[in-house]
Amino acid sequence: MTAVDTGLAAEYAAIYAYGAMAVHLDGDPRSLAEALEAEHRSRRDALLDYYDAHGLEAAPAEAGYDIEHAGDAAAAGALLLAVELNVTTAWRAGVAATEPSEREICLRMYTDSAVSLARWRLAVGEPVATPWPGRPDR
Amino acid sequence: MGAAVLAAAGCTREKAQIITSDADLTAALRTARTLAKGAEALGYGDIAQDHLTHVETLERLLLPNVVSEEEAAAPADAAALAEAESTGSREAADSCLATESDYAVVLGEIAASRAAHAAVLA
Repeated sequence: MTAVDTGLAAEYAAIYAYGAMAVHLDGDPRSLAEALEAEHRSRRDALLDYYDAHGLEAAPAEAGYDIEHAGDAAAAGALLLAVELNVTTAWRAGVAATEPSEREICLRMYTDSAVSLARWRLAVGEPVATPWPGRPDR
Repeated sequence: MGAAVLAAAGCTREKAQIITSDADLTAALRTARTLAKGAEALGYGDIAQDHLTHVETLERLLLPNVVSEEEAAAPADAAALAEAESTGSREAADSCLATESDYAVVLGEIAASRAAHAAVLA
């Protein structure tokens, strides 16, 4: 499984999670969640184009993903924060790729996901700044 | 074999010295220092701290060849800082893609962090 495969899987899971959590959100957080879901869909489409351009076969999205139950807006916000962090961590790992086109797409996805992560952190009242987005805790 | 031939072949009695000098890291360091000062001047302490963390890391990676600090104009407002963050992000991203060193991930992380700053400042 390549870094791009892992990143694509994380994008699929994020799309699913936003779809499942939207019902718990209202107002500005709901609007931002819809915007971020659209961005994940755009990234998925760009990735599928990457697979096509390189003669590779992309794995399809799964029918469902095992995500925690969220009973209110705060829980939904926290779950989506974890989802965004997971996506960013997945793409960060791909930046180490030595194949130029793989590193390029992973860097583009990583930078975009770090922006999404910061925007969602701002929406749920979490500190936005981080020097190393998506770097796993040691 | 004469001394001139040996010298021409790079074989001299001079002791070898390993020099760690990476132009990409040095450029990232200069920009990080400038962005740290700009963010601090405008009251964005948390963002300034991110840049200072980058500075600390880059200086450590560049030892013993750390360039000295230079004077730089601070951005006038949040919009100017956001623009400087975007430019700094592109600079680090270009370096990340071009480098053949082991520092691609660090440069990518710096690019992503600056892009996130730009987004929340805009």
